[in-house]
Amino acid sequence: MSPDIARLGAFDAQDVPSMDGLRACVHCGICLPQCPTYRVLGEEMDSPRGRVYLMRAAAEDRIGLTPTMARHLDLCLGCRACETACPSGVPFGQLLEATRGQLERRGVVAPERDSKLLRFLLGVFPHPRRLGPMLRGLRLYQRSGLQALVRGLGLLAPFESLRTMEALLPPLPAATPLPPERTAARGARARGRAGVLLGCAQRFFYPDVNADTVRLLAAAGYEVVVPRGQECCGALHLHAGRIDELRAMARRLMPAFEDVDVVVVNAAGCGSAMKEYGHWMPDETARRFSERVRDISEVLVDCELPLRPLRETVTYHDACHLAHGQRVRAEPRELLRRIPGLTLVDLPDADLCCGSAGIYNLLEPEMAGELGRGKAARVRETGARVVAAGNPGCLMQIAQHCRAQGLPVEVVHPVTLLARALEER
Amino acid sequence: MPLSPRVLRELEAILGSRGLVLSREGLLTYECDMHTFYKGAPEAVVLPESAEQVAAVVRLCRRERVPVVPRGSGTGLIGGAMASAGGVMVSMTRMNRIVELDFPNRCATVQPGLINLWLSQATREGGYFFAPDPSSQMVSSIGGNASTNAGGPHCLKYGITVNHVLGLEVVTGAGELVRLGGKTHERPGYDLTGVMVGAEGTLGLITGVIVRLTHLPESVKTILASFPTIEDASETVSAIIRAGIIPAALEMLDEVVIRAIEEGIHAGYPKGAGAVLLIELDGPAAEIEAQAAPIEAICRDHLALEIRIARSEAERALLWKGRKEAAGVFGRLTPNWLLQDAVVPRSRLPEIMRELQAIGARHGVVIANVFHAGDGNLHPLICYDDRKPGDLERAKHANEDLLHACLRLGGSVTGEHGVGLDKCESLPLQFAEADLNFMARLRRAFDPDSIMNPGKLLPSHPACGEGFRPAARPLPTGTWI
Amino acid sequence: MAVSAPALHHALLDIAGAAHVLRDPGALVPYAVDGMVPSAVVRPGAADEVSRVLALATAEKLAVVPRGAGTGLGLGNPPRRLDLVLELGRLTAVRDYVPEDMVATVEAGLTLGALAAQLASHRQMLALDPPGGEPRTIGGVLAAHASGPRRFRYGTGRDLLLGARFVQADGTITWGGAKVVKSVTGYDVPKLLVGSLGTLGVLVEATLRLHPMPPESRSWQLGFSSAEAARAFLAALLDSPLQPDRVALLDVGALRAVGLTPDPIALLVSISSVAEAVQAQGGTLAQLAAGHGGRRDLLAESIWSGLGPAVAGSILLRAAFEPRRLLDWAAQARSLAARVGAEIALLGQPGHGVLQISLEADDGGRLGREMLLPLRQAIEAEGGSLVVERGPARLKSECEAWGSINLDLLTIMKRIKGEFDPGDVLSPGRFVGGL
Repeated sequence: MSPDIARLGAFDAQDVPSMDGLRACVHCGICLPQCPTYRVLGEEMDSPRGRVYLMRAAAEDRIGLTPTMARHLDLCLGCRACETACPSGVPFGQLLEATRGQLERRGVVAPERDSKLLRFLLGVFPHPRRLGPMLRGLRLYQRSGLQALVRGLGLLAPFESLRTMEALLPPLPAATPLPPERTAARGARARGRAGVLLGCAQRFFYPDVNADTVRLLAAAGYEVVVPRGQECCGALHLHAGRIDELRAMARRLMPAFEDVDVVVVNAAGCGSAMKEYGHWMPDETARRFSERVRDISEVLVDCELPLRPLRETVTYHDACHLAHGQRVRAEPRELLRRIPGLTLVDLPDADLCCGSAGIYNLLEPEMAGELGRGKAARVRETGARVVAAGNPGCLMQIAQHCRAQGLPVEVVHPVTLLARALEER
Repeated sequence: MPLSPRVLRELEAILGSRGLVLSREGLLTYECDMHTFYKGAPEAVVLPESAEQVAAVVRLCRRERVPVVPRGSGTGLIGGAMASAGGVMVSMTRMNRIVELDFPNRCATVQPGLINLWLSQATREGGYFFAPDPSSQMVSSIGGNASTNAGGPHCLKYGITVNHVLGLEVVTGAGELVRLGGKTHERPGYDLTGVMVGAEGTLGLITGVIVRLTHLPESVKTILASFPTIEDASETVSAIIRAGIIPAALEMLDEVVIRAIEEGIHAGYPKGAGAVLLIELDGPAAEIEAQAAPIEAICRDHLALEIRIARSEAERALLWKGRKEAAGVFGRLTPNWLLQDAVVPRSRLPEIMRELQAIGARHGVVIANVFHAGDGNLHPLICYDDRKPGDLERAKHANEDLLHACLRLGGSVTGEHGVGLDKCESLPLQFAEADLNFMARLRRAFDPDSIMNPGKLLPSHPACGEGFRPAARPLPTGTWI
Repeated sequence: MAVSAPALHHALLDIAGAAHVLRDPGALVPYAVDGMVPSAVVRPGAADEVSRVLALATAEKLAVVPRGAGTGLGLGNPPRRLDLVLELGRLTAVRDYVPEDMVATVEAGLTLGALAAQLASHRQMLALDPPGGEPRTIGGVLAAHASGPRRFRYGTGRDLLLGARFVQADGTITWGGAKVVKSVTGYDVPKLLVGSLGTLGVLVEATLRLHPMPPESRSWQLGFSSAEAARAFLAALLDSPLQPDRVALLDVGALRAVGLTPDPIALLVSISSVAEAVQAQGGTLAQLAAGHGGRRDLLAESIWSGLGPAVAGSILLRAAFEPRRLLDWAAQARSLAARVGAEIALLGQPGHGVLQISLEADDGGRLGREMLLPLRQAIEAEGGSLVVERGPARLKSECEAWGSINLDLLTIMKRIKGEFDPGDVLSPGRFVGGL
């Protein structure tokens, strides 16, 4: 795009959505049945095709950036199932993020949006120093019996957002120690140095997943480092269209992983955002960083791990940002199949979003609830005892809805299963 | 003319606020189907969940003389599901359930918004499928298929949608909610079901469909044959038909389309061939084995470069994905396109393909081809870029030449996409005044006040007895057909 | 009739020529429709003559019944009025036949037998095979929606008629449909005409979809001693991967009539394909039959053109119902026929839910009251129909040829009829609901 263009229709030139990307859409509609919000609502403007149409209409000056448009984009989960389906290669995720950024910068907000809540979440989640203490307080709430009381009496019934958040809370761990800063590789010679991203949610809600990640990498022959200086990868901000914040957080994160061969991520949302650093910051540093990012399953699938039998019936849910965002589907399944005694059952609509979508389920509880209920029903159909998913948000959402439907399943990250089966000498 | 507040209130009373779209942004997304050349936003979109709601809407619109336009998944290619005369658009997307599967009677009752492929997926375990398989089947709705009498690659063997519809529940333009046909295969009276299929929403809105299910074939063999030129491939098609073999599907793709498919879908199509034929045989194992040999021989006789047989269901599925999603990869080929759907008698296929190449050369446009060679149903894709001056003009001229060439050879202006807005003004090329007049009067019998999808299917003609003129929203300038 | 008989005759002579207008009362009797003798019979030689005849009929408010070979005229109520019989037997040209396209355009007066002969030399066929239908005209077969065992694989006239040229009541020559196998240009007018008994227009030319004659064909009679065994076999056959092209159900009456072994109940099955497939499928069929206690006979292929006697009774009923109920209704029909002392032969179409009931009875009135009406009521209660394809005029008047029809649908059909034949020229009163 020519740098001389001051604007693109209703968009300004800063982080403008790509016109070529918008024009790639031929309006074929193949994305429609793959879109969770279209499946629920059946309305064109809450489908990828409709959303692209609105963005393009804004780019062509047919409409301005309006609160109604913002609403339809807010309802989008950002799951990118449409990208997987699209034969024309429309980069929907990036178009969405760019447009959200434009809307945000111009203060165009849908009346249904809970801006305060969003600000709160964005202000707390990506900041371990704020999230930690808050969760410690919440843990007290859980352990003291107060939670049981509140839930039993349905005290939060009238407060939808609070109730949703409360319901989502998994049992919070007593302690959330960080894994060791350095772990030696098992075996004579290390195959490389792996840096592990702790992740904001993962480190507090599922610290064992991080610990298991380190163990598995070491067992696979990597020297593992967990850089202490790391903070947030910026995914939540990126998905909300706050691209400058994303850049700031990326710039702070990247130096922490300067001297590792591979940056290993066990949270799908984070991995997806980090692999796109090169798009939003088109310089060498970001590009070379993004090229080194891998999901834990991508790394482990190329390694041999000594695994003991683990007799479980497991079904695998594709986290959106893993399957659609990173095109990683086969690797986690392959790893689970390698565990002797483990039966992997197909989950129908495995790659249909569970409704978590980062913090979406806190902002749009109705839609997220619809999708979560559907996902739990699908899980029930499989008869599996364990559900595996590669993202903390998914784990929370699926666990909550299975619980709500009285389904006695265990919801875990694939590395948890691998670690359980790991033969350690 | 905008709908009055009273009418809007009545619509809300029928549908509820969640069943009504009135925002400017929302209505904008409904202004076209897959053929974005034709744009016309409705004044309101309703999303009914029952036939009774549909009937109530139609009665209201008839009373108020407001146009009604039905819409399924909006994947049509003829400007059918757009409101060229404004009015109320009725989106069937929320009526998308399977009501009943009746295997002993080999039929299924479904709601119109049900996605075509989902029906076959649901019946698969019972050993059945829904035979009409338009390339859009992963998103197009059965109601939409019935409305346009959709075809698809396998209609060569199995017939088109009308051959698989046993009954329809419809709301006529007069506001009557009636059941046409049923589970029986014949009944006394006029074949109203047969007339309603393919009527493109101009006689009534389809609120329910009873479809015939077909037994899954015992065996399937998918053959991909590549040829140096389109000519070789076309001659092969003619030869196969001449030999008395009717495959289940016989599709042709040229090198332009193959390049785009491989870029977008990686389906395994061979690059470097001038054209390929995707041939599918299905039926009893002994029969397809016996048919495959002569087909391969015919291909070799016509200089086939490679003959590949799909070795697994996955490979077969990928080849078909490539073929069926070809429409989607057009975006990689060209920024804009005009798509034809003309038919020629099978015996004239090599001739029209030669003509097509000559027309492309004459006007300096690229024409890509991916189509149902087995029944002479062409889909020439005329590429252009609306940002380049003169490009659209050249494309339009090429398109017109092509259409006339097909008609000269005794063909038809549309094989399966339908008429809609796109081809209604060219019906007079195929029908005389008396014929069009007959159709206009048939329309009047169902839609006395001309509210059903006005301006579509039949050319606007003073003598045709249409009382309703499309509102003064002009078609885009430079409408090419 | 407004105009005098001599004036009418003169006008007809002018159109068709003396050799093709019948006015002598003796000559007119064979052209009676349900006992009503017309004032004249005209036999036009070309479409434009048909047009002029109908224009005349409209102008003079005449009632016209079109006729092909005359063998299917039994279908329909007695006409309310009858002035003129319009016989299409002279329109026999094959207008256009390109074997490679597997499409043929023929005039409506051509008989199925004559067309078959022309197509056979190119190893092609029109897959329309109503029993005893070789002498019937294309137009008549389509107007009556007659069909035969080949519908199992190929469908009926509804599926095989691609395009139609017809003459409206006011004489306008009109075209609908297309000349190619796939076309969706405008309304499917041919569908409207098929089965319409000529009440919307008189067919003069039909563009038909053809099929290749398969290289090899074998046919068998699978005989069963009980309806239960036949039912089980039929269900298994329909569920199997076998792809017969013809399947027919015959009861003992029909089997006797066509000269086959009189099993209590039998299925006739033909498999047509390449030799290897016929062989293989024949084997599977044999096993299937044996597994259900069936007796198997190899038949001569000519049996299929010899089914006419099975439906030759002076009363012929046609039932249509949900396909899975075929054997039930067959049993019902036999039981009712026994009760009223009628001779019965049944020819059924598995998979499509159609049953032709051929009857001979001394007391037509009793048959009507105690068999036809109760059977029709029961079938209609399940969404089906029972029509009289042939029978004495009295029977049709008492029982009404078509049965009841949904009033909402009849309203629409009336509107359609009103658009195209407001003067009630074409076969008034013969069609459903008195249309």
